[in-house]
Amino acid sequence: MFAYIVRRLALMLVTLFGISIIIFVLLRIVPGNIVDILFDAAGFVDPADKANLEKELGLSDPIVVQYFRWIGGLLQGDLGYSYVSEKPALQEILPRIPITARLAGLALLFSASIGIPLGVISAVHQGTKLDYALRIVSLSGLSLPSFWLGLLILMASVSLFGMMPIFNPNPKTWTEAFAIYAVPAMAVGFRSAALTMRITRSSMLEILRQDFIRTARAKGASEASVNYRHALKNAILPVITVIGIEAAFLIGGLIVTETVFNIPGVARFLVEALRWRDYPIVQNLVMLIAVVVVFANFTVDMLYAVIDPRIRYGD
Amino acid sequence: MAVINYDSELKRAGAHSTHGWRRLVFLAQRYMLGTIGLFIMVMFVWMAISADLICRFSPLSVDSTHRLAAPDALHWMGTDSFGRDVWSRIVHGARISLAVGIGATFLGSSIGVVVGLASGYLSGWVDLLFQRITDILQALPLLVLALVMTAALGPSLPNVIIAIAIPLIPTVARVIRANTLALRELPFVEAAKSIGMSETRIALRHVLPNTLAPLIVLATAQLGSTILTEASLSFLGLGIPEPYPSWGRMLSESAAEYVRTAPWLVIFPGVAISLAVFGTNLFGDALRDILDPRQRG
Amino acid sequence: MRSVQTLVAAALLLLPAYDVASAAEPKQGGILRIYHRDSPGGASIHEGATFSINAPFMPVFNNLVMFDQSKAQNSADTLVPDLAESWAWSSDNKKLTFKLKQGVKWHDGKPFTSADVKCTFDMVMGKSEQKFRQNPRKSWYNEVNDVTTNGDFEASFNLKRPQPALLSLLASGYTPVYPCHVSPGDMRTKPTGTGPFKFVEFKANESIKLTKNTDYFKKGLPHLDGIEFTIITNRSTAILGFVAGKFDVTFPTHITIPLLKDVKSQSPNAVCVVEPTNVSTNIIVNSSSPPFDNVDVRRAMALALDRKAFISILFEGQGDIGGTMLPAPGGLWAMPKEMLEQIPGYGPDINANREGAKKLMQKAGYGPDKHLAVKVATRNIGEYRDPAVILIDQLKSIYIDAELDVVDTAQWFPKVARKDYMLGLNLTGNAVDDPDQSFYENYSCGSERNYTNYCNKEIEKLFDQQSQETDVAKRKKMVWDIDKKLQEDVARPIIFHARAGTCWQPYVKGVTIMVNSSYNGYRYEDVWMDK
Repeated sequence: MFAYIVRRLALMLVTLFGISIIIFVLLRIVPGNIVDILFDAAGFVDPADKANLEKELGLSDPIVVQYFRWIGGLLQGDLGYSYVSEKPALQEILPRIPITARLAGLALLFSASIGIPLGVISAVHQGTKLDYALRIVSLSGLSLPSFWLGLLILMASVSLFGMMPIFNPNPKTWTEAFAIYAVPAMAVGFRSAALTMRITRSSMLEILRQDFIRTARAKGASEASVNYRHALKNAILPVITVIGIEAAFLIGGLIVTETVFNIPGVARFLVEALRWRDYPIVQNLVMLIAVVVVFANFTVDMLYAVIDPRIRYGD
Repeated sequence: MAVINYDSELKRAGAHSTHGWRRLVFLAQRYMLGTIGLFIMVMFVWMAISADLICRFSPLSVDSTHRLAAPDALHWMGTDSFGRDVWSRIVHGARISLAVGIGATFLGSSIGVVVGLASGYLSGWVDLLFQRITDILQALPLLVLALVMTAALGPSLPNVIIAIAIPLIPTVARVIRANTLALRELPFVEAAKSIGMSETRIALRHVLPNTLAPLIVLATAQLGSTILTEASLSFLGLGIPEPYPSWGRMLSESAAEYVRTAPWLVIFPGVAISLAVFGTNLFGDALRDILDPRQRG
Repeated sequence: MRSVQTLVAAALLLLPAYDVASAAEPKQGGILRIYHRDSPGGASIHEGATFSINAPFMPVFNNLVMFDQSKAQNSADTLVPDLAESWAWSSDNKKLTFKLKQGVKWHDGKPFTSADVKCTFDMVMGKSEQKFRQNPRKSWYNEVNDVTTNGDFEASFNLKRPQPALLSLLASGYTPVYPCHVSPGDMRTKPTGTGPFKFVEFKANESIKLTKNTDYFKKGLPHLDGIEFTIITNRSTAILGFVAGKFDVTFPTHITIPLLKDVKSQSPNAVCVVEPTNVSTNIIVNSSSPPFDNVDVRRAMALALDRKAFISILFEGQGDIGGTMLPAPGGLWAMPKEMLEQIPGYGPDINANREGAKKLMQKAGYGPDKHLAVKVATRNIGEYRDPAVILIDQLKSIYIDAELDVVDTAQWFPKVARKDYMLGLNLTGNAVDDPDQSFYENYSCGSERNYTNYCNKEIEKLFDQQSQETDVAKRKKMVWDIDKKLQEDVARPIIFHARAGTCWQPYVKGVTIMVNSSYNGYRYEDVWMDK
């Protein structure tokens, strides 16, 4: 087990290192840089000023030098400075994390509390009309783009209440906080709920077919007890996997939803920074996302080992 | 991993005849939802192919006298702020969505198959290298990678296809690799080896055909998500540029301006995206049930 | 002068109580909430070239002189003192001397002196040690030799030749006085000024906050306790926020005409005005390579334009047709209508124009069977893309099959500079309604903003002549002739001059939207709220 963890951690480092190189190179082949964008506002590009500015920002150095400057800083906790705001990148990114984390947490909560029960119900009633209906709902949930869902919510909110939630960092009332966080979280969570439901359903079905369930039934355990005590307990394992998958899935949804609802979180910040060619922000944000995804997967694997004693990792 | 015998699978599912059109009729009845999905997909393909015949208006022609017109008999999905017919734009938009959906899925799957086969069959350092690349690509969400890629490549149709295809590679490669590894151990592959068939031939003749089923399942499942990703990219302003009528961009422009004044500009493109993805999802589910019974729900 | 006087009048009729109140003593206090259309790249006005910077940061500063903030039309007659107490031209009109106010303090408590004036303009002219990262308006001071001081409270601009327009340039929102003791870098992130409001914070993509300068040198001002800009890039969301009462004022000239009706129906009490933005939408033509190196093709294109159709689609009729200078009644320098209609393509009979255009195209070798394929490059921004779509549609009528080539913001100017385009759809904003600003910047040989490299020595001489003319009536006539020539040369065909709406809640008083510039009216020191 210990050897396995060490090996996994080593592989994670390799993955993150690879990502850092890929993202760094990709950004450097992007046509145009921050200097072009800054000059764009001025309406023309002055070659001398441009060269000065590129030098000042370190963009004229060889790409390898630039890379090691970034990674070297990163390892010491120095994320560099945002090109646009000229503030430390950390200072720009950190305050935005709780906003997105809150949204993501609420969305996960929403998706688990809707998706797991419906998935179980669907599996238990496999083949019935209820199952059919639930499957259609979950498939349509997966088919709705979350930004469109967000727009529909906004449109409904405007026509029903004559207003829509506008982000406020310090909501004064509970209803305001609800409108600011819960509504967008639901728009993102709806898709995740559909995914959770599908995975719960299929893992439940697999478990229900297995021997120990048959044994439990044969021993005379009640249907409800079989379904919910034995089966769900075992089906929870694959559901944990969902959280790993959803870490990546949610981030995609958050990017568009934060845009629709005008929420100043990290996810939308990535798009803004990309538009500004603000490399220090983009690089560090992509690394942050990669770390979150990689650690989520790692945690899921570890949880597996803890919950299910049959699984033994070793080499 | 077992090789699937479709006929016996069909029989197991209750088919009386496994020949000709009866088989199709049976499948259609057994997999109602899948049939509906297939129907939706065919409809969109037909829309894309015959777009110029279906539409009364060119998707690009501007009409100053019919701006932001609500849906009526002439423009039955209304018009946008230039007086362009929304129905024509949605029908022509199907071309974009399908081109990106099918193009990216095909490209991503093809590369994924090659990588997966090579990785699973050659093992050793090739496998190790491909595995690490796969890890890297999978550590970033599809949309994030596609965003950075389109920014790097510039917004154009081929670039969007490439940007969405690359993140698809690892998923396909993983499945193909797992299948290949399992297949290698099977008796008929061993047999082929013992009669002196070359490794490449075994890979192409025996291993590849047997991984086709999971591949088709996977590709159909990804078709929907590629269409959604293109829509999201265009919505964020990084996807397909004008003049192509892309559903995602139609939404992003109207969302910015006309949520209240012209709701049809928000509703119809969204319905088109959702319906197209819903169709591929329904069909993909049924396909999975038929071709990959291990995962049957 | 107000284009939508009727709207205002209607609003006032509905609310006579407010009308009475507005004549009363301004009330003190309150935070003015405005939404902002996008996140500016920094806070340093001298380094910016968009009113996304001016609107939130002009209240932090003062100029030497400024345009009277309560008068909608900027002109030499509406200049009022700001940091300068008075000003005077020397007898040869080559030296402009300002007497400065005493006892003015920077927000950090340091005293303001003539040294700060010299520092500011030395830096703008590129003469100081410290440099701006970018310096977009350096060319405004081409005729200034140097700035000199005489004691702590007198500063003079010494000119190479008379240039009466210099005062107007100094009055622009783009020309604040900066402190010597703060570095350009700090001015971009946390600006220090002398103005009615102090900078508090700027969170990119989120908000900009200003607070009252209690030590402001203009006694009794400002009335407000502070100003808060909330950055909302989506126009629908922003407008809904205004309608829902979350904002007191919309971002200036941000409401498009089609959306204005919606705002009026949602908040019938809101006061809305529609004014020209002094931003012209024009076509840049690459005349150095085929097919537009052929003058016939260029002229045909100019003849094919149906300007009224652009205005009816994009502005429901509320836009203006003119040459380079902003059309009347908002603009001061536009040529009379009769003169304008003599220019090819400006005549009212579109069909006749297009017939002429077709003949020119046929002369150039094109026709119904041989269309000309071109690309129209433009930026991926609605204000650029939308007219480009219409342009492409109109070019179809003269055998030109155009395709849109949408260019990313970062690549636009490099592409234009490389001459890597055939036609480009471009927007040109004019900070000050003055021919010096607009002619030299956009049409003089060698100017950075002269994207098409149009260079005509004859016209260049005329530029200088009008610039030195102190008699306004005479200068106007010269300007008209120049403008007409520029249009006839198809130097940069002007399609239209945009107008846009601004709304505020009825209790907001003292907001004036300028009719001939979008850059100069944001001091906000006289604004107050009657609630």
